[in-house]
Amino acid sequence: MMEFLRANQPVFDFFLLTLGFAYSQQVVLRAGVFSLASAAFSCLGAYGCAYLVVKAGLPVAAGVGLGTLIGGLASYLVSLPLARLRGVYQAIATLALVELMVALALYAEPITGGAVGFNNIPKHVGTTELLIAVLVVIYLLHAQSISRIGRGFDALRQDEYVAASLGVSSRREHTLAFISSGLIGGLFGALQSMYAYNVEPNQYGFGYMVTTLAAIVLGGRRSLLGPILGSAIMILLPEVARPLAEYRQIVVGVILMIVVVLTPQGLADTFLAWLQHRRARALAPMATQPPGGRA
Amino acid sequence: MTVLELREVKRHFGGVKAVDGVSLKVASGQVTGLIGPNGSGKSTLVNLIAGVLAVGDGDITLDGKSLIKLTADEVARCGVARTFQNIRLLPEASVLDNVVIGFYRHERSPLYASLLGLPSSRRETRELREQGRALLARFGLAEYEQVPAGGLAYGYQRRVEMARAVASAPQVLLLDEPVAGMNDVEARSLGQIFAQLAREGMAVLVIEHNTRFVAELCSQVHVLDGGRLIAHGSPQEVMRDPAVVAAYLGG
Amino acid sequence: MLTQQILNGLISGAIYALFALGFNLIFGVQKVLNLAHGAIFMSGAFIAYYGVIGGLPLGLALLIAMVSCGCVSVLLDRFGFQLLRKYSHADAEFGAMVISIGAGQVLTSLAQKASDTKVLSFPFGTFPVEFFRGLGLRISLLQITIALLVVVLVALLAYFLQRTSFGRQVRAVAINPRASALLGINSRSVFSITFFIAGAMAAIAGVMIALSFNSIQFMMGEPYMLKAFVVVVLGGLGNLAGAVVASLLLGIAQAMAAAYLPPGMADILIFATLFVVLIFKPNGLFGGGLAPAGVGRQ
Repeated sequence: MMEFLRANQPVFDFFLLTLGFAYSQQVVLRAGVFSLASAAFSCLGAYGCAYLVVKAGLPVAAGVGLGTLIGGLASYLVSLPLARLRGVYQAIATLALVELMVALALYAEPITGGAVGFNNIPKHVGTTELLIAVLVVIYLLHAQSISRIGRGFDALRQDEYVAASLGVSSRREHTLAFISSGLIGGLFGALQSMYAYNVEPNQYGFGYMVTTLAAIVLGGRRSLLGPILGSAIMILLPEVARPLAEYRQIVVGVILMIVVVLTPQGLADTFLAWLQHRRARALAPMATQPPGGRA
Repeated sequence: MTVLELREVKRHFGGVKAVDGVSLKVASGQVTGLIGPNGSGKSTLVNLIAGVLAVGDGDITLDGKSLIKLTADEVARCGVARTFQNIRLLPEASVLDNVVIGFYRHERSPLYASLLGLPSSRRETRELREQGRALLARFGLAEYEQVPAGGLAYGYQRRVEMARAVASAPQVLLLDEPVAGMNDVEARSLGQIFAQLAREGMAVLVIEHNTRFVAELCSQVHVLDGGRLIAHGSPQEVMRDPAVVAAYLGG
Repeated sequence: MLTQQILNGLISGAIYALFALGFNLIFGVQKVLNLAHGAIFMSGAFIAYYGVIGGLPLGLALLIAMVSCGCVSVLLDRFGFQLLRKYSHADAEFGAMVISIGAGQVLTSLAQKASDTKVLSFPFGTFPVEFFRGLGLRISLLQITIALLVVVLVALLAYFLQRTSFGRQVRAVAINPRASALLGINSRSVFSITFFIAGAMAAIAGVMIALSFNSIQFMMGEPYMLKAFVVVVLGGLGNLAGAVVASLLLGIAQAMAAAYLPPGMADILIFATLFVVLIFKPNGLFGGGLAPAGVGRQ
């Protein structure tokens, strides 16, 4: 038993990190913001923490904390101009931001180590820390989702006109969503830098986006269960389907396409909605006849 | 006493004068009607009041406070609720959740309590759900509480939208074609709810096509045609006005 | 020297234009971001390469690449984007992006397998290497060919859209899909044609880039995808003429940046510009088209 756990610990750690990044990405999508920028916040958190701990000699906890805050600050600043965009325009702007961050990381060699990356970071973070971080984030996101904020997010995501007519300020809610995304992204970026011995620019580029999007597409944009399911699938796929390992990218691509066409809301969300449907139908048959007969 | 007042409100779209100098008052205690043929500018007017469209000229005030520079959510927070011509519910959310979101502007929990999941925030959420259930009962929707709103029949969806608007306890209620497509029985029962709300102190404006419904329900009726008011008064006066008859029958 | 840089920049800008036009055409008509466009561009280069290796003349290989990529593009539409149309707008938008990312992944991985992650080059002599001098400038036969080809293709596209009845249908669907459907325009065939054209043009662009740098590798589409964003936003999403102008400007700007700025700086400036333009002028430098904004006082 202990052998099994020890052998699979890296996989579990990787799962926890992927899950954290997925939550960072999900929280903005949940509020109806078409942002893919969480990669940029994680990048800042990772490099910030690595620099502060390795070059500036700060204790690890401070490094991680500051990395988190850097992510949060960046996301707040970014939310200001992005507030006026919607849909694909927002998406492209955030893509530009991610690419900009990667380009900056490649360019700022004295600080970041350039293309070679920031290397030889002593490992300070292990499974325990990652697990604690994930559990805390899940608790906070859950609290958020059953509160007024979560209700505002859901309304904005489904219909911005309705939300506005009820007094939901898209500016305020979107800013909150961005800051949440930045803090979570920064946190897990910082944790990753303290876990993985090195940080390099392309870690937070297109590949990061594809993996986190895949986790959310598979799982769902709304429920907290979604990213857990999505990340698990993404991590376990190469392990379970070893003969397919060579074709992993292709399999991921095909699965993504099939899942998004059949269940655009994600597997977990669609399942949860189906459960809700069943319960509702059991309690009250669908009202098809209005009282008093047809108009 | 609540008064929503429009003064010489104008809005053009390119060359089209959608609303061309409309002045009217909507007061609490009675139901005011706004009728007019298709394309007369009724929906534009609603969107102007609600903050979705920018006002070209003129003023819109609620108890003296001007609304024209406020955005839609700010207007809503001043106490103006509206329904939509094509029903807009949150399709994924349950009927109860759709009504609970109506309480949004009254929620008191501070930000940190919501973010940290403090007991006070959780308690408020529970209380709101209870209030939501009471409201659903009032509108005859109690058994549909868990049903995803997108799956209801049309008449029931209308009621959910109404319950949501009432949940926000507005001072002004703008109803955009609330009984379109309903039979007389349904329309009448909904009309009774509007009258009740007006008696309780809301300023209710009903924009409708169904002139018979408006005549039965409203004490004051305004008639819009081509962006201008061509008549106003009691339903009886307005229905007999030759200009109104011409507008509805003529070209 | 400066004018030489400008000339080189114009040529690479011409290739960007070909790539960006296809991307923009799809966006104009279907309002979706086809993130697989870069992979299709890369596939065009690959197919032409295998054609040439297999003994075909370059022209024929190019033609086969065009048709294949056009078809792949249409398949992506038919079995991808079209199937999403029944969902809500937000779901469809998000889903379209994800589908195109997935399709791009599949194409890229196939190319990676096929090429064994190696960089491929066209065999020597695929395209004659000749230079001409004049007015103090140096231009290659390839560059002249590219310029001519792009001019002809853009002119053909403009003619198609403006003067043929089918082109008018494409424009009608781009402006108002619902009204077009009521007028009896078959939007499905409009979508298929636009995807085919976009795919074919991407293939040509891919082959030209492959010839220009004589390198073909499975990741070659990605940087062009990003440049396409810049071009398409600057020129205005859906604005085809704007895309052409913006492409040429980008080509020149890049050439000058490569010559006068430290390496890596060019990318930073380009993406920063993109971000800034989106914030202040989401409709691009030339306006036209409507960028959706939040709810309130339009």
